[in-house]
Amino acid sequence: MEDFLYFFSFQDASIAFVVLGITLLGIGSAFVGTFSFLDNKALLGDAISHAILPGICLGFMLAGEKNPFFIVGGAIASGGLATYLTSWLKDNTKLSEDSIIAVVLSVFFGIGIVFLTIIQKSGNPEMAGLNQFIFGNAIGIVERDLWIYGGLSIGIIGVLVFMLKEFQILVFNPDFGKALGLPMHHIRLVFNILIILAVVIGIQAIGVVLMAALLITPGAAARFWTDRLKTLLILAAVFAIISGIFGTYISYTLPQMPTGPWVVVILSFIALLSFLFAPKKGILFRFYHRKKYIDKTQRDHVLKSIYKAEELGKPALSLEELTHIYPHQKQAIKNSIKELEKEGQLFINQNLIKLTKPGKMEAKRIVRLHRLWELYLNEYMNIAPDHVHESAEKLEHLLTPELEALLETRLNFPRLDPHQETIPRDHDDI
Amino acid sequence: MIKQVTQPILEIHDLTVSYDQSPVLWNVDFSLPAGKLIGILGPNGAGKSTLIKAIMGLIEPNSGYVKIFDQDLDKVRNKISYVPQRESVDWNFPASVLDVVLMGTYGKLGLFKRPGKKERELALSCLEKVGMTAYVHRQISELSGGQQQRVFIARALAQEADLYLMDEPFAGVDMNTETAIFNLLQEMSQSGKTVIVVHHDIYSAVNYFDWFIMLNLHLVASGPKNEVVTEELLRKTYGGKLNLLSKVSELIRQKEFNPLKD
Repeated sequence: MEDFLYFFSFQDASIAFVVLGITLLGIGSAFVGTFSFLDNKALLGDAISHAILPGICLGFMLAGEKNPFFIVGGAIASGGLATYLTSWLKDNTKLSEDSIIAVVLSVFFGIGIVFLTIIQKSGNPEMAGLNQFIFGNAIGIVERDLWIYGGLSIGIIGVLVFMLKEFQILVFNPDFGKALGLPMHHIRLVFNILIILAVVIGIQAIGVVLMAALLITPGAAARFWTDRLKTLLILAAVFAIISGIFGTYISYTLPQMPTGPWVVVILSFIALLSFLFAPKKGILFRFYHRKKYIDKTQRDHVLKSIYKAEELGKPALSLEELTHIYPHQKQAIKNSIKELEKEGQLFINQNLIKLTKPGKMEAKRIVRLHRLWELYLNEYMNIAPDHVHESAEKLEHLLTPELEALLETRLNFPRLDPHQETIPRDHDDI
Repeated sequence: MIKQVTQPILEIHDLTVSYDQSPVLWNVDFSLPAGKLIGILGPNGAGKSTLIKAIMGLIEPNSGYVKIFDQDLDKVRNKISYVPQRESVDWNFPASVLDVVLMGTYGKLGLFKRPGKKERELALSCLEKVGMTAYVHRQISELSGGQQQRVFIARALAQEADLYLMDEPFAGVDMNTETAIFNLLQEMSQSGKTVIVVHHDIYSAVNYFDWFIMLNLHLVASGPKNEVVTEELLRKTYGGKLNLLSKVSELIRQKEFNPLKD
């Protein structure tokens, strides 16, 4: 708790630097990542982030110390080479994009690990910090780093906000952009540079291995919540900031903990919550709606069964008779009866279930839709009368009043369905 | 039967185009008059979309050139409007109907400038023309195929061009939408715009267009309706590919490089 207060009150200037750095980095990478997620290029970010390791090592070898300018310069150079190689291979070979990305990723990362081992063997006392670039350590951010990483982040955010319209068309419909005369080739180039920079700014805090997660996961999680591009970008940035700060906090309280994995754990948790709970697209929401629909179909079936009994001159049904019609759904039928009684659609008198007036209206409506649809299938689609029941069983719960009116006029207010049963209307009485 | 015109709005000179190793258009050469509603007809794989893309500069031709308003394409881009195939984009992209139609104004806006009130009003009036006013803020993935086509046409209208190139705007569209779109295109051509439409259904095409381009890897015909809609030309267009041409294409595909490229 003490740690928590100390950390989040930002009284320590070095913590304030770290939090500011991770916030800027979060926004920058979430913005760029959201676009590459929408562009279905999620893997490219992963390839670039692995591919910058040899550049980092070379930068270190040249500088002889952990100089951020040399390291960032090296990272940009090898990230750029990897991106160029990816598109060159795509244009000049018949390899598929995912194989190219897999090859580039592993070759560059392999070379990077070789360099890293050479540096470790050299016994340079500075090299301790270099391991951090693999899994990241946000606490290692010092003022000098903030200037370069923070400055790059602000640059990325600025370019993205300034060129929102251009990137929108680049992702949605680049051919149309070209037809408009926009220099799509250059816009793509700027975007690729932004991906490389977004990866580079994350190397200190998140590390090369997991940087792709900070690029892609915020946008992917935010996509569950919104259908608007601007909201999507803002939400993705918020997710990235939250996970960035908490990841940093954990590696602050537990000094041996690298930041990157914790950021990814928290991000994944946010993504999981989005997947479960988001309205409309979340899995629970969809589950709930399906359940509601099934409940309604069961209530409809109860009403329909009693109405059909009435048609045959039996004014009420017992519970046993009803569950006998749907032997596999006994409990569900009982629940539906309770629900319908509460709604005033039926009443129970000495174990006999009878429809009320509104209940009968509703039952007639369902039976009417069922029989109208059967007739429509039979007359307009030439489907034999013994084949139309299944479809009508489903459609009777779905058809809207507008479609009902349309069916009535198309069929010219018919009296009988294909099985010679009466199509019930509100004014006629049984 | 290829009828050349004087002072053409669009002139295509000896155009040959291939995708990688497969030639899809052979020596296409025609010119088109202004203010007409023009249909590009041909069977599947005849190169209709390729022709449109080559005109728009989206594919580099192997040889030949395109002149529009007697100029190079890049000089007159803002006078040309383009409707790509509906399937060519991902409709799950997070955008509203209005967002997509606003894209039509990006060409005149140029780089970095944001669409403002003027552009919004233009976009809304274009949506009105295609009867989509009720869907302005709808997410594009929730639209039906016909509504998506209308949105694309509204976007093309927002380009405020003189020449319109439309790739299968009637594909996946119900009868009502087809008639509505066609009436709109007819109005446009009557007000002096030139509209070129890729179309696959020859029966409706005969009623819709007043000039035809018939393609089947090579140009079969280009001319006014009453001169080119003949049984013989239709048979040449739809009655299978030229046997020899297919054999030559096969020969080229087996080479390690494309000899048609300069």
